[in-house]
Amino acid sequence: MTIPTRRLGWLLPFLCLLVLGTGAWRGLKKPPGQDLRDFGSLPVVSNGRVQPIDSLARNALLSIHGKQRVPGKDAPATPTAWLAELAFQPEAADRRAIFPVLHDEALGLLDLTVDEEKYYSFERLVPRLGKMSEEASRIAAKEPQTWSAYEKAIMKLWRDLERYQQLKFAFGHPSTKQLEFDLNQLVAGAKSAAEETAKRDRGEDHDPLLIEAAEARLRVLREWSTQTRVLTEPPAPGADPGVWRSLADSALAATSEGHLHPSTMAYARLGAAFRDGDTAAFNATVGDLRHSLQHERPSDLRKSRVEWIFNQLAPFTSCMPVYIASFVCAFLSWLWPQGGLRTTAFRVLLLGFAIHTVGLIVRMLLEGRPPVTNLYSSAIFIGWGAIVLSILLELFYKNAIGTAVAALTGFATLLIAHHLSLGGDTLEMMRAVLDSNFWLATHVIVITLGYSATFLAGAIAILFLLRHATGGVPKTAAVSMRGMVYGTLCFATLASFVGTVLGGIWADQSWGRFWGWDPKENGALLIVLWNALILHARWGGMIREKGMMVMAVFGNIVTSWSWFGTNMLGIGLHSYGFTDRAFLWLSAFVASQLLVMALAMIPRREPA
Amino acid sequence: MKPDSNIVLTLRAITRGLSSLRLTVVLLALCMILVFAATLAQVELGIHEIQQTHLRSWIAWFDLSPGEGGIPIPFPGGMLLGSLLLLNLIAAHTVRFELRMKKAGMILVHLGIILLLLGELFTAVLANESQMSLDEGRALNYSTASREIELALVDASEPGVENVTAIPMSRLRDGARIDLEGFSLKIIRFFQNSEVVAESSAGAGFDPARANSGAGTGHAVRELPRETAMDRRDHSSAFVEVVRADGTSLGTWLLTNGFPAPQSFDASGRSWGMAIRQRRFYHPFSIRLLDFTHDRYLGTQIPKNFSSRIRLENPETGEHRETLIYMNHPLRYQGLTFYQAGFANDDRTSILQIVRNPVWRLPYLACGMVGLGLVWIFSQHLAKAMTRKRPVPSS
Repeated sequence: MTIPTRRLGWLLPFLCLLVLGTGAWRGLKKPPGQDLRDFGSLPVVSNGRVQPIDSLARNALLSIHGKQRVPGKDAPATPTAWLAELAFQPEAADRRAIFPVLHDEALGLLDLTVDEEKYYSFERLVPRLGKMSEEASRIAAKEPQTWSAYEKAIMKLWRDLERYQQLKFAFGHPSTKQLEFDLNQLVAGAKSAAEETAKRDRGEDHDPLLIEAAEARLRVLREWSTQTRVLTEPPAPGADPGVWRSLADSALAATSEGHLHPSTMAYARLGAAFRDGDTAAFNATVGDLRHSLQHERPSDLRKSRVEWIFNQLAPFTSCMPVYIASFVCAFLSWLWPQGGLRTTAFRVLLLGFAIHTVGLIVRMLLEGRPPVTNLYSSAIFIGWGAIVLSILLELFYKNAIGTAVAALTGFATLLIAHHLSLGGDTLEMMRAVLDSNFWLATHVIVITLGYSATFLAGAIAILFLLRHATGGVPKTAAVSMRGMVYGTLCFATLASFVGTVLGGIWADQSWGRFWGWDPKENGALLIVLWNALILHARWGGMIREKGMMVMAVFGNIVTSWSWFGTNMLGIGLHSYGFTDRAFLWLSAFVASQLLVMALAMIPRREPA
Repeated sequence: MKPDSNIVLTLRAITRGLSSLRLTVVLLALCMILVFAATLAQVELGIHEIQQTHLRSWIAWFDLSPGEGGIPIPFPGGMLLGSLLLLNLIAAHTVRFELRMKKAGMILVHLGIILLLLGELFTAVLANESQMSLDEGRALNYSTASREIELALVDASEPGVENVTAIPMSRLRDGARIDLEGFSLKIIRFFQNSEVVAESSAGAGFDPARANSGAGTGHAVRELPRETAMDRRDHSSAFVEVVRADGTSLGTWLLTNGFPAPQSFDASGRSWGMAIRQRRFYHPFSIRLLDFTHDRYLGTQIPKNFSSRIRLENPETGEHRETLIYMNHPLRYQGLTFYQAGFANDDRTSILQIVRNPVWRLPYLACGMVGLGLVWIFSQHLAKAMTRKRPVPSS
C-alpha cells in the first residue's frame, strides 16, 4: 500500500505553523474590557533593568506560584491581570491561593496540615507571619549551604512573601483607595507646612498642626519607599543613564519640588479606574502614560514593547510541541521508510528551529549580549547548538537520525530551560566579573557548543543502543551512526578543549591564574579528558562500535555533571549559578544513562 | 651479545611500553577519577588545600568519611599522573615520530599539551600570590600572603628605617629554637589556626601555656582546624619565649595575627618589635590608592563594576603615574600582575590580588598550538568525509 504522505510532505509543517500562528494572534490581540495588554507593555525598572510590567508579573508569579496561571474560578487570566489586581485591588488578590508550602515541617510551623489544599492565600498566611519572621531571621544568619530542606522551604516562602508585598506597594499603597487625592493633599500640605515653618522660623504666628500633619505624611512615605524596589517614574529625557524612581520616592520628591510627576499621577488614576471598573478612564490613562513615554523614553518603550511581544509569543514554549511532532515523524519514517516521512520530519524540525533561532536572537537584542549569559540561556543555546550540528548530519546522512536526535535534544533542553526559568528573571543583569561581551562571545559560546556536541553524540549513541537492544540496527544505519558519533565526538573534543582553554585565558585575565582547579573548571576538564579518552581508545582499537556508543552515553553524564553538578557544590569562584532542586533530576538523568549503558552491555547472541 | 645492547633492548622495551595508547587511556581515566574525587573533596577541605595535597602532589590521600577518622585511601596524585602522561606523550612521539603533513596536526596538538602540562608544573613551583589591601589615599610597598604567616622581628632603632627579620612559617614548630644576634627565640607552642580568649572564659580544650609578658598575658589559646573557605583567614598564634645569650629568660609572649600592633622587648641593647603577621613581600615601588569605585545596577545591590584608580610610585625608575585597575583589566608591572580582587570597609578599601607567575605566557602558547593542531586535524577529517562517497540512506 502506498500511503500518500509523499504529497502531504508540506501539510504537517503548514498545520504546525497554523496552530502556532493562531496561538500567537490570540496572545497579541486586544482583550475585551480594560486594556491590560497596553498596561502590561509599559516599561518599569526592576532587578536592575528596564522591563515591561508583564515580565515583572510573569517572573514574580512563576517564582512564587511555579505557574503562569492563577488557579480558581474568575481568576485573572494573565500574569499582568494578576499583578494589576494585586497592585490596585490587593484585598481581592490576597484571597488567591498561590503560595505553595514546600515542606511538611514548614506546614507544621504554620499550623497547616498536609491534607488541606496545596496552595495558600496571603490572607491565610498573614496570621502566621510573626512565627515565620522569627524563623526566617534565624535561618538567614546561617550559611545558605548549610540550610536543611525545611529551612530552604521556609526561606523560599519568606522571600516569595517579600516579593509579593513589594509588588503590592509598587503601583499604589494598599491602605488608600484614593491615592490621587492623597497625593494632591500631600503636595498641598507640604507647601502650607513649609509656609508655616517659615513663619515659625521668623517667630510669627503659625499653625503647628499643619506642620505635624505634613511630617506624619512624610513618615508614611518614607516607610512606603522602603517597601518596594520597583521603579515607575522615568527620568527626564536628556538624563543618561538616568535615575528611575519608585512611586513613593517620586511622591517624596514632589513634596520639595511642589508638583507631582505625571506618571505618578497616572498610576494613581489607573488604580481608581481599575477598582471602579471604568474601562474608558483606564485605557485613556494607559494611553497617556504611553504617549509621554513615547516622547521621553522612546527606546525604553520600544524595548519593553519588544519584550512584551516576546513574552506573549513565548517562542521557546511554542517550539516544544513542534519538536515532538518532528521526532514522531522521524521515528515513523524508520517504520515506513517509503512514506516520505523523513522529509516531513526534517521540514517540521526546520520550522521549530526557525522559531528557536528567532527567540534566541530576540533575547540577544533585548540583553545586548551574546546568547549565553546564565544557566537558563545556556540550556536554550545547548539545544540550539545541538540542532545546528544535527541538521548538518541530517543533510549529509539523510537517514532521519539527525532529525530525531535534534528534535529530542531540542525538546529536552527547552524543558530544562523552562524549569530553570522558575528561578526568576531570565534576562537578569550580569555580575561584574562576567561583564565582558568579548569573553561571553568566545569562551562561553565555544564551551557551550562543546556541551552541545557531547550531548549530541550521547543522544545518537542512545538511539543506536536502543535500536540495537530492540532488534538490531541495519548494517548501513550502523555504519552511518558510527560515523556520526565519531565525527561529533571529534568536534566535541575540539570545542570543549578550545572553550576550556579560552576560559583559562579569561581566568588569567581577571583572576590572575590560568587554572585554579575550581569545580567548574574541573568539570570542563573532565569533558575534554573523556572525549580524548574515547578517541584514543578508538584509535588504539580498544573499543569498537558498541564500546564507542556506550562511552558516548557516559559522555552525557560527564557533561551534565559539568553543567549542573558543579554548581550544586556551592564552592569556588564560579558558583554563581547555584541551583538546588535540580539535584534530584540530575540523579535521575545519571541513573537513566547508566541504565542504557547497562542494557547495552548485556551480551546478546548475534544473528548468525 | 654486547652488554650495552641489552640495555638498549631494555630501554626500547620500556619506551615501547611507555608509548602505548593503552597507557594513555588508563592515565586519562585515572586523571578523570582524580579530578572528580578532588572536586568533591573540595567541599570539605577547600580548593587551596586540595590543590596542594591532591593535585600538586605525587600521592593523593582520599578520606572516604572525612572528619571521622576514616581510612585514607592512596591514589596517584596530579604530579604523578601528569609526569606519566608527559612521559607517555614524549615516548609515543619518539617511537612513532614521522614528519609528514598528515601527522603535523597531531604532533602540534601533543606538543601543545606537553607545554600545557609543563606550564602547570612550573606554575606550581614558581608562581606566587599575594594581596594588597589599600585604604583610599594610602600607599603600600608590600603585599601579604593570605594563607601564610611569618614571625617578624622589627628593629626600629635607626630613625625612618625598619630592619625586619622574618622567620617563615615552616620554622615555627613546637619546641623550635631560633638563634638571633645576642638572643634566641624559643617557640613553646605554635597554632596554625586558633582561638584566643581571655583566660577567665577559657574552658576545656584550651592549651595550658600562658604568657607572662606583653599584651597576651591573661589570654588562653585553643587550636582550631585550618580555614578552608577562600574568603577566610587562619588566626595563627604562638607562645614565644625570648632567651638571652647567657640563658636567662626575658619572658614568654603570646603572639597572634589578631593583635593590631607588634609587642616590644629589649635585647642586645636595642628595642625590638615582635609580631605574627601575614607574610610580607616587599616591592621596590609603592602603590597608592587614589579612588575606589563600586557601581551597582539600577536600584539593586548587584555589582556592575569595581575599579581602583591607583598611583604607581617607583623612586628607582622615577615613575610616578596613575592607572586604573578594574575587572578583567589588570595592571602588569615588573613581572607582577595586579588584579581587582575585592573591597571592604564600606567601599573605602580596595583589595588587589598580586600574582607573580613567570610562565604565565606558556599556556597561551600551548593553547594556540593545540587549537591550531585540532583545527588542522578536524579540517582533514571534514575534507575526507566530504569527498568520500556518501552512504546510501538507510532502508
